Amino acid sequence: MTSMKSIRRGHIIPPEAAPLKALTVTMTVMCYLACLAIGALILINRAVDSWTSGLSREVTVQVRILQDVDVEKELSNAKLLLEGTQGIQGVDVLDRSAGAKLLEPWIGSSNLDELPIPRLIRVTIDDKAPPDFVKLETALKQKVRGASLDTHRRWEAELTRMASALSTLSYAILALICMSTIAMVIFATRTVLDANRQVVDVLHLVGAKDGYIARQIDSRFLKTGLMAGLLGVALGVLTFFLLGLTGTAGAGGFADASRGLLFAPPTIAAWSYGALLSVPIIATLICLLTSRLALIRMLRSVL
Amino acid sequence: MVRLDSVGLRYGDGPEILRDVSLHLEPGSFCFLTGPSGAGKTSLMRLLFLALKPTRGLINIFDNDVTDVSRRELPLLRRRIGVVFQEFRLLDHLTTFDNVALPLRIAGQRENDYRADVMDLLSWVGLEDQAHAYPPVLSGGEKQRAAIARAVISKPELLLADEPTGNVDPLLAKRLLHLFMELNRQGTTVFLATHDLKLVAQSKASVFHLEKGLLRAA
Repeated sequence: MTSMKSIRRGHIIPPEAAPLKALTVTMTVMCYLACLAIGALILINRAVDSWTSGLSREVTVQVRILQDVDVEKELSNAKLLLEGTQGIQGVDVLDRSAGAKLLEPWIGSSNLDELPIPRLIRVTIDDKAPPDFVKLETALKQKVRGASLDTHRRWEAELTRMASALSTLSYAILALICMSTIAMVIFATRTVLDANRQVVDVLHLVGAKDGYIARQIDSRFLKTGLMAGLLGVALGVLTFFLLGLTGTAGAGGFADASRGLLFAPPTIAAWSYGALLSVPIIATLICLLTSRLALIRMLRSVL
Repeated sequence: MVRLDSVGLRYGDGPEILRDVSLHLEPGSFCFLTGPSGAGKTSLMRLLFLALKPTRGLINIFDNDVTDVSRRELPLLRRRIGVVFQEFRLLDHLTTFDNVALPLRIAGQRENDYRADVMDLLSWVGLEDQAHAYPPVLSGGEKQRAAIARAVISKPELLLADEPTGNVDPLLAKRLLHLFMELNRQGTTVFLATHDLKLVAQSKASVFHLEKGLLRAA
């Protein structure tokens, strides 16, 4: 009798009948794009957090130069008032050159001495228990001539609006990537099923259940999703790494942002890596669930 | 076991292939289905192995009305039926051994449990040395025997065979007929479609004749 030990049990659905190489490539591209969108989302949120926390910890008091008014005396009054207000942690009266420096980018450095440049007071506030800004502004207007309070709220609102728009755009891109991936997997599932129609018919006729046939096929989709997800993430991390090498540290722009994404302190970087590593997991789940549901649906259409 | 009452079948809007077919197969019976090519034998076999649903009439198999059988129950019914297809329908990417073992594998049995049975059956049909071979390298007769082995490996209650001896020499045809008769003696109901009247004459089984979609006892 022939020894059966050498016979390897073959795959019930032949792997080579409908290769999933095209799906692997397109899903890798989708996962790569998802990584870029997630990276952008993290950077936007982190930048907005950093800007708004900086803005919300400081306010500025501006004292305009008025005719026949001793500005130094008004600054002193303002300083006294601010120091006596609850919720204010520090008051720093900036000298005239600091205000001039702020105007330099717009009007240059010449003839600044002749201009009535307002004087500025930088006020550091307790962001956990901030002062009542309406009362503070009223008190400043009453006791300090030419004074006004700038809480930066308008800028903060602008930034929040812009960040919200960019975040929504990133989420929309991620949703589109997911939908395209689902459509591609459904198309690939149909291709695999069509290529194996004869095999599926025989399996049905010898008593295979739809779930059994689906399991023979969707294990390949699981591998495809996982491989495409890991390749996409690897390419995404490589892209951020290469972007991080393109500029000098502290120069801002893409280079700094990319470095911040990958080489942030461990607690912050953990979020970035966690979000990026969710891509292969989600890609695998999308691939597996979509192919399983599509297969069961398609198999049910066959008697 | 199997009962057909006034069954009609048409494909799409085409003419009726089977007309008012009524048939009753008792448990443990052995019957032949004869008729010229194009008479509708394969269509009738496809109805019996639940690959088609009739356009009219009633089909009852194992006390189940096939029109009421749910998707979940269908595979369990099919596991009780062994089928030899006219065109063999072996899976080219599986070895002869794996093809024959397919119904057992699908039913969830482990290879260690069925290996000896499959090898015994392969030996019985003369394919022991082809266990490693893939169907594309088998001859027509070898494919036929592998298809028969696959149909009978799970000892089905009902065996349906469409031209099971169409590609084998008379000696092997006789041997295969004896295999079917042996299975029948063990309790399997056998229904063979053939136009080989010499094969029919070798048995005392009852014969149904199908012509132009109409079935009658011969």
